[in-house]
Amino acid sequence: MTSAEKLQALQHDVDFFVGATEHTPLATLPNWGSLTVLLIILHCETQHGVVISSAEIHGCKTVGDLLKLLPERL
Amino acid sequence: MHSSISNVRLAGLAVSTGSLTRDFMADGLALGHDRVMLERTAQTIGLRQRKVAAPGITALDLCEDAARRLLDAAGLDPSSIDAVIFVTQTPDHSQPNNASLLHGRLGLATGAAAFDLSLGCSGWVYGLQQAALLCAHGGAARVLLCAGDTLSRLTHAKDRATDPLFGDAGSAALIERTGMAAAWHFELGADGAGANAIIVPQGGARMPHDSKPLTEIPDLDGNVRHAANLAMQGGEVFNFSLRQAPPAVAAVMRHAHYTVEATDGLILHQANRFVVTTVGRKCGFPAEKTPSDVVEHYGNQSSASIPCALIHAFTEPLSARSLRLVLCGFGVGWSWGAVAAEFGPLVIAPIQPYPHSA
Repeated sequence: MTSAEKLQALQHDVDFFVGATEHTPLATLPNWGSLTVLLIILHCETQHGVVISSAEIHGCKTVGDLLKLLPERL
Repeated sequence: MHSSISNVRLAGLAVSTGSLTRDFMADGLALGHDRVMLERTAQTIGLRQRKVAAPGITALDLCEDAARRLLDAAGLDPSSIDAVIFVTQTPDHSQPNNASLLHGRLGLATGAAAFDLSLGCSGWVYGLQQAALLCAHGGAARVLLCAGDTLSRLTHAKDRATDPLFGDAGSAALIERTGMAAAWHFELGADGAGANAIIVPQGGARMPHDSKPLTEIPDLDGNVRHAANLAMQGGEVFNFSLRQAPPAVAAVMRHAHYTVEATDGLILHQANRFVVTTVGRKCGFPAEKTPSDVVEHYGNQSSASIPCALIHAFTEPLSARSLRLVLCGFGVGWSWGAVAAEFGPLVIAPIQPYPHSA
């Protein structure tokens, strides 16, 4: 699964990511906050079968950083 | 830890909620939050309104009201109770325990035992196991299990990760020794390494209430709280729930020889609709067997949420007949408890706010 495919899947489940690219800073996403973090955790668990922590998500600067968490855990 | 306890029955249930209604949208807009985001959160998490206790009302008051209404509905005298267990994290005092205070208020016999369990969202199942043990092996014929909290008092209004979630409630349940009944199958556990994920740091012996000033500190998401507020790492708690609840549910179902098809309902701690539906799905249960809308009416009621969900979703069938149910609570202390059992028919006093309206 390429980064573009992962982003597409993320955008499908978490529409806050619609319009974002790998270079988009997470902090600039509309309504970035605890709800988005929960939705990302759920997406990773259901679509990729990996558990990521909110600390790992908060450690990411950009959407690309977030996507990199997935292949490293697969 | 697994245990199977035979020859006990659940004889009655009652829940009293706080009397004040807090509206999620109105509260959020008053704090200046974006309407679209609020609506999105309300829809996703399942937040609409919650019932909180009026000033001066505590979990003890709410549970006393539930207990009195339940005893009235069952036509029982308080002197028939052999023990009272009080599950709470918001007791009236650090000493004495709430169970002894309730013992005095209800006028229980001096030979009746009274003790507290300091647990939250898993607490009702833990309390049920303790009550069942007292009836099966501890010499009690009837145990009053009360569980409730006023967690809305512990949250900071500017902490959107906790404040919109919690409602206040007190529950009462009667557990009785009986001649012949199928075993109740329990699974209790905890992962203390993660216990700090839900914490009120200040106010106990480790950090007394007057040990340092209450400085408001924003977190990474912009939520604000001080050290005497409830702090919850929502993402970690969600992961914990997904990790621990489904295996506990599977274990009790295996011991009870229950299948999803032959089980009438899975009643999870009503943390919020998002958590309940996700955990329920992971347990393999269809949505129609997993009530998830309690939070939208009452908020997350901590240890009272499972009895509230039982009454909210199953009053009619539980009053009339026996149901095969699986219950699972999970939360503070990173503790969890599940039980598979046949409950009913039983006496149910309806969910009511306290104080009662005129």
